[in-house]
Amino acid sequence: MKKQNGGWSPYLAGALSGVVGILSVWVAGQYLGASTSFVRTAGLIEQFFGPERVAKMAYFIKVAPKIDWQWMFLVGIFLGALISAITSGSFKIQAVPDMWAKRFGRHSGVMRAGAAFAGGVIAMFGARMADG
Amino acid sequence: MKMLVYGLVTGLLFGFLLQKGRVLRYDKQLGALRLKDMTIVKFMLSSVMVGMVGIYLLTDLGLVKLSIKATILGPVMIGALVFGLGWGLLGYCPGTSVGALGEGRWDAIWGILGMIVGAGLFAEAYPLFQKTVYTWGNLGKITLPQVLGVNHWVIIIPFIVAAMLLFFWLEKKGL
Repeated sequence: MKKQNGGWSPYLAGALSGVVGILSVWVAGQYLGASTSFVRTAGLIEQFFGPERVAKMAYFIKVAPKIDWQWMFLVGIFLGALISAITSGSFKIQAVPDMWAKRFGRHSGVMRAGAAFAGGVIAMFGARMADG
Repeated sequence: MKMLVYGLVTGLLFGFLLQKGRVLRYDKQLGALRLKDMTIVKFMLSSVMVGMVGIYLLTDLGLVKLSIKATILGPVMIGALVFGLGWGLLGYCPGTSVGALGEGRWDAIWGILGMIVGAGLFAEAYPLFQKTVYTWGNLGKITLPQVLGVNHWVIIIPFIVAAMLLFFWLEKKGL
């Protein structure tokens, strides 16, 4: 099942992640998701500056700013990926992805940061609109 | 508290598998969007195939409940187009961005910050959207088996056959 890049077959890893998803629904009653936590985080940060305003906003009433199951799920994804990467020697500090570097050069870190930030704003806006 | 521990453990397992499947990387995500490297499609479809069989089996046994979101055509279609544009720029999706960071790809930080800002901006725009896009084409909480009036296994089994055929074709093409 090992591939040249040291990873597992995507079919195997994907199927096992499906088993994790089933167990999560069975044991905890939770379907896997991620984007709601970004709303909760935004609410938590905004609460710091103006709690009264946040308390009155319809979207933060619908999606309360708090640390919940899904928020910890994301913390877990970070740690799980970190453990897997370090124990397999595939951890790599990188600010400019290879495919990006091929097109824009190795020293395009600022441009990459700008595109990633703008992409993040746009992607999350769209994801939230579609409720996913 | 128990739920927070469940979340953390589920994430640990899921993040571990995402990294093993090599699907966290920008190159893999852009590879899929450019139809050059189908690793992510293989991972996601495999996950969906196993997940749909397991969840529907448990539903048939009365052990779990489905969580169905309303199908509202306006926000789903516009939101999907906007999401795709952002995904192509960022090269990580909301869940994989934190995993990519764990793997050392720290350009994901900018994406994570952007996504928090995007969520905040959406919260500002939400009251306006409630009166507009969210009223366009609301079909309610529907599922394919329900709309077609068939048992869910009539959908699941052909779906699995079609996915297997796609896998064979992708391997033959070396994608």
